[in-house]
Amino acid sequence: MLKTLYTVFGVGVVSLYAVAAMLGWEISGGSRRQLPPDARQNGYRSFHFWHYGLHGGK
Amino acid sequence: MSVLVANCPACGAPVEFKSGQSIVVICSFCRSAVARTDRELKDLGKVAELVETGSPLDVGVRGKWRDQNFELTGRAQLGHQMGGQWDEWYATFSNGWLGWLAEAQGRFYLTFQYPIPENITVPVFDQLQLGQQVAGLPWPTPLMVAETGRATALGAKGEIPYLLTPGDTYFYADLSGPDRGFGTLDYNESPPLVFIGNEVTLAELGITTTRAPEREERRVDAAQVSCPHCGGPLELRAPDKTERVTCPNCNSLLDVNQGKLQFLKALEPPSFQPLIPLGTTGDVPEGKMTIIGAMQRSVTVDGVQYFWSEYLLYSPPIGFRWLVDSDDHWNYVRAVPPGEIAETGKYATYQGKGYRIFQDAPARVECVLGEFYWKVEAGEQVRGVDYVAPPYILSKEESRVYIADPEEPSGKRRVAGEINWSLGTYVTVPQIEKAFGVKELPRPSNIAPNQPYKYKWIYKYWLAFIAVLFVAGLISVVTSGLPKEAFEQMVTFQPLPNEDGTQVFFSQPFELAGRRNIRITGESPVDNTWVYLEGDIINDETGVVQSFPIDISYYHGVEDGESWTEGAQTDAAYTSSMPAGRYVLRLEGQWERWQQPATVSIKIHQNVTHGFNFLAALILISVIPVLMGIYHIGFERRRWSESMFTESGSDDDDD
Repeated sequence: MLKTLYTVFGVGVVSLYAVAAMLGWEISGGSRRQLPPDARQNGYRSFHFWHYGLHGGK
Repeated sequence: MSVLVANCPACGAPVEFKSGQSIVVICSFCRSAVARTDRELKDLGKVAELVETGSPLDVGVRGKWRDQNFELTGRAQLGHQMGGQWDEWYATFSNGWLGWLAEAQGRFYLTFQYPIPENITVPVFDQLQLGQQVAGLPWPTPLMVAETGRATALGAKGEIPYLLTPGDTYFYADLSGPDRGFGTLDYNESPPLVFIGNEVTLAELGITTTRAPEREERRVDAAQVSCPHCGGPLELRAPDKTERVTCPNCNSLLDVNQGKLQFLKALEPPSFQPLIPLGTTGDVPEGKMTIIGAMQRSVTVDGVQYFWSEYLLYSPPIGFRWLVDSDDHWNYVRAVPPGEIAETGKYATYQGKGYRIFQDAPARVECVLGEFYWKVEAGEQVRGVDYVAPPYILSKEESRVYIADPEEPSGKRRVAGEINWSLGTYVTVPQIEKAFGVKELPRPSNIAPNQPYKYKWIYKYWLAFIAVLFVAGLISVVTSGLPKEAFEQMVTFQPLPNEDGTQVFFSQPFELAGRRNIRITGESPVDNTWVYLEGDIINDETGVVQSFPIDISYYHGVEDGESWTEGAQTDAAYTSSMPAGRYVLRLEGQWERWQQPATVSIKIHQNVTHGFNFLAALILISVIPVLMGIYHIGFERRRWSESMFTESGSDDDDD
């Protein structure tokens, strides 16, 4: 039982690594989000948006 | 001497010396041993009827050994001081060789007499030590003393090349060596005669006897007899081999001599009941075998007596084997030639495999039930040494007895003994239950000396996955090509209004390729200070934002006369690939010396090889094997905590 589980797990991990290498995925990458439509329309370069919109301020 | 036909001096019947080298011929009419001298024939007396051992051989059987034809022209039957007998067949070769084919316990040993080199002195019988190597023998491999004893000429048939006198006894030593080496030192003469050869199979001798099936048929027939003490019915399952049997009705110990029973003594009620009933037939690794006897044995270590049970298995074509039940752990055990094992200190080697010593203590027979092929009885004691290499256990049993020497008028007794080695293979309880059709055998609660660690396979799997991971990583590096720079700019942030302030930078649009990871590198000439950047890569068309941090801090100094550094003037962040398209870089900076401007060089590369993913995969793959490895260490500690030879609780190391 454990043999089967570990085999499936190991194959999964190696496959995931291979796919990640092919597609350029990084597990250490930061967060990824989508700008809301209104932010894009109003101009995402505004100071207000970056401080209180997406990142929630510092 | 030549071929001679004459009349038996005892009965007058014709006797024929077919081989020119035969000294004695047994008259087939009156069973007199007739010796020929230079002048006359001499009657040495009558030999006993041969005990039918079910041998597949017979006088007249022909074979071939090393391209030389031979014929078995005589048979001597010899008795062992502990009971039982064995056969020695006299083989006359077509080229004049004389060989002895000894047969005991279903094994065959072909030996030839060798002259002792002039400069070699073979030890006298009383100097022999079990296990000692006999130096100087004309044999390519060392031969060690495996058994010493006294043989008695019981009977004979055909022609014999020495002066066999019925009832005569002599002392001997059996030698054993690597590569099935075998020898005998025959102390009937002084200096002793030396016979050396090999253990052989009938197939190797080119013997395809027609007696074998008959032998097998006869041997499987059990004998129904009555107990001479209580008259109760008794079954002998190996009547031609059994030396001792206990009566299941009155619990008497009976001596068996060719199927005839003799009362020896009444035994105490048995102190154990076999978990598998006597008479049960099971499928063991070598074929079907029947349990014909069982005994309980014990060993006392540090004042504590430990018990285990041994079941004697028998099958005519296979011979004898053992099942050993110790703490509800089972082993299938077979004998191995002593000369094949090399002992060095706490280790033993058999067939290239190393074994580590586990226990060395006197083992005592506590109780016997059923049939045995030697004259066993309660109280019998041997020195038992166990070496383990899971799933195997290599056991040595060394026994010594004092035997009378009929030629010593003073009644002096001599020491004889033997070394027996056996190899046990661990068998699980369900396998035993299935093999013998029994149910609900007790399950073990501890770890046996040779119990295999059942998760050992995980290390092989682990290594295999790591190898595959390396190959996958190598392929990805080779096929992805070199890193490509997508953006580079020197950014200068003006002084901040206060220490909590930040300053933002937006880049000009630049292109990123899809399916390529991204590395953002920031470099600043900081010196005992820091710069922190909150970064975003923004897709100008879709609004997807990938955030990342760049934290540059570099400190150095001298403390207690030693210089130190911490951090670096550069930092990098990695992100997953983004869809191919046009992007803008946003940086929001903070820095410790806010009153001064801060300069940061920013570079964005794609298709960068680094080890985060590989390391993560490696860690994931390793978690289970590492946990199992920790469990394995505990398993081995528990195993060896029971040994006399461990650092935690051994005899030798504790002292």
